[in-house]
Amino acid sequence: MNPDVVLAIPALVESGALPPAAAPRLLRMARGELVSVHAELRALLYAGVLLLMGGVGLLVRQNLDRIGPVAIATVLGLAAAAALAWVARVAPPFSWQEVASPNLAFDYILLLGILLVAADLAYCEVQLGLPASHREWHLLIVAGLAGLAAFRFDSRVVFSLSLSTFAAWRGVALADAWSGQGEGRSDSGWHIFRALGAAGAWRWNAIACGILFAGLGLGLAHWRRKAHFEPVAVHLGCLLALGGIAAGMDDPAWGAALLLAGAALAGVAYRTRRFPLFAYGVVAAYAGVTRLLAELFHDAALGCLWLAASSAMMIAGLLVVHRRMGRMKEPA
Amino acid sequence: MTPELDRADRAAAVRAAARSWRRAGIIDDAAMAAVESGFPDDRARAGPVFRVLLFLFTVVAVSGLLGFLAMGLGGHEQALAALAAVAGAALLALTEFQVGALRRRQGGTEAATSLLGIGLLLAAAAWFLLAARSIEAAAGVPALCALAAALAGVAAWRWGYPLYAALGTAAALVALAHLPAGRAVWIALALAAAPALLHLSESPRLPPAHRSSAMAVLLVALGGLYLAVHLGSWDERIVERIGGRDPGPAPLALPYGSVLWWSAMAATALVPLLVLAAGLRRRRLPLLLAGTVAAVASLATFQQYLRLEPVWLVLTGAGALGIAVVLGLWRYLDSGPAGERGGFTAAPLLTDARRQAALEVGVAVLTLQPEARAAGDERPFEGGGGRSGGAGATGEF
Repeated sequence: MNPDVVLAIPALVESGALPPAAAPRLLRMARGELVSVHAELRALLYAGVLLLMGGVGLLVRQNLDRIGPVAIATVLGLAAAAALAWVARVAPPFSWQEVASPNLAFDYILLLGILLVAADLAYCEVQLGLPASHREWHLLIVAGLAGLAAFRFDSRVVFSLSLSTFAAWRGVALADAWSGQGEGRSDSGWHIFRALGAAGAWRWNAIACGILFAGLGLGLAHWRRKAHFEPVAVHLGCLLALGGIAAGMDDPAWGAALLLAGAALAGVAYRTRRFPLFAYGVVAAYAGVTRLLAELFHDAALGCLWLAASSAMMIAGLLVVHRRMGRMKEPA
Repeated sequence: MTPELDRADRAAAVRAAARSWRRAGIIDDAAMAAVESGFPDDRARAGPVFRVLLFLFTVVAVSGLLGFLAMGLGGHEQALAALAAVAGAALLALTEFQVGALRRRQGGTEAATSLLGIGLLLAAAAWFLLAARSIEAAAGVPALCALAAALAGVAAWRWGYPLYAALGTAAALVALAHLPAGRAVWIALALAAAPALLHLSESPRLPPAHRSSAMAVLLVALGGLYLAVHLGSWDERIVERIGGRDPGPAPLALPYGSVLWWSAMAATALVPLLVLAAGLRRRRLPLLLAGTVAAVASLATFQQYLRLEPVWLVLTGAGALGIAVVLGLWRYLDSGPAGERGGFTAAPLLTDARRQAALEVGVAVLTLQPEARAAGDERPFEGGGGRSGGAGATGEF
């Protein structure tokens, strides 16, 4: 409901700014006589999928002995097949470009199907008695499956699941190595851990993952293959890479690296008008330079003065940049 | 709120609507330009990203300066409290200067100075009331809450921040909880004020920010009402605890099966339904969302009290039921004349695709927690590709 827009619409029609044919529907919306619950239904679907998967996880864990492995694996498999069959039936033909979702539930039923497949797969791995050292590959397989499904069915939601599961795969590999369970293993996590130590391995994995994601996003945009997936990959990539660098800030050299990476990101984002990436870059560069100067300030009062003065300069600089951007101002 | 700010906010509301029409292709660039010249913006505004950055750096700058001054004052508590009071008043004056003379609106800096100003004044008041033992601690907390409510209320009225209206209402509820019949006051006030607040939230005579503030106050008041009648709140004496009273041996705990127990149970079910009904009748999304959240909380309460088990069945059933209800609603709305029924539609009217994409990115980022799993946390089975969300794994990176 928006009384100011209700008052403005007749005047806009009269001045010719608004087509008369569109006015009645817009007036109904402004008066609150027509309300869209599209976003709310999507959010509820998402919550429903999460609840259902939580229940499935508990079912498997609590009823392993009572129901039996074959029954559980079969039920999970059938449920996943049903969800994916429905998705395949209603899905539009494949295209490298953005494809409109056939209906509101499409993304979430696909997500449910992928998660059920993942649960079934993990369950079967445990039942087959695969050792923990092999189980980490489960996440890589799920990431790959989710990635394929995301491209085939044009789902950004499932694409983000794929990326975060891939990142989790690297995390699991390292956690196993960290805990010493990987002694004698020949997988990637163990080798990285041995070479770099725990903190270094974590940091380099984060940076590498971030660069990989950002590169993937940029590649998709460059070759115009599902270019609309690019923001998800680039944002996750930048945050992972900057987070990885920031994690090493005990060492001033990493502070310098953060300053350089942040400044570069802010510069590129400014030129390409990517406002959120610009913000990541500015904050990272500020954190980096503050870390470097912290080496010089052994007095807390001086540190406070630096924070006050530098932030005031940042505010002034941001206001100048904002004014320069002028016409390319982001929507309020 | 000044008449100039009122006019600016009303014009901003029309421009925002026109931008959504432009995105939907209902008007062209020339029409958009005509709207912008007909409803001009006389304020210095920033987009959401710059707003957040300016807010952040203003907070850091003011905090750094205050930290520097505080160190100069040494550890003298009284001097620090006086500094907080002076700085708080100065920041509120600075906010007024920015909103008034500098014509800033949605600019980040004025929001930061107002928030810090209120926070510092409250910190100073807390020291004078509690640390300096001006009054008894039992009276100091409600007095501080009342002051917080007053400050936030004045800030919401003067500068039009709905968040302050919500915080002020919450502070007022905490102050009222200190009354002997605090729980009853929460119930009575919410029931008495709800119709008026709902009316104010739709009143064309109020500026847009004040309408939003009325809705914010209504939502917090309804939250208070729900908490006051909630069965668990009776048993745990939550309102009395908020009121600073020692719950003791829980004399108010309701005996299972008594009339009062069933009344509280009925009220726990009824409040969400009434809020949902009001939202449907008035077609107000905030009320629908509040009613949905309260309904979920009530269902969880019933699961707890009625010992509905097994949990996996409750969760799976609730999830499946939720999905089925949403799909049913979608089909029902979609099959109506022109894809609508009762003034509701499942079609994405004037949806901002960029904002939706940003939300998806946000969810993906939130589910990516770059923490390695604790060593030895070997679990027998964990289904899924990590724990999903619009994105995914628990991200044990």
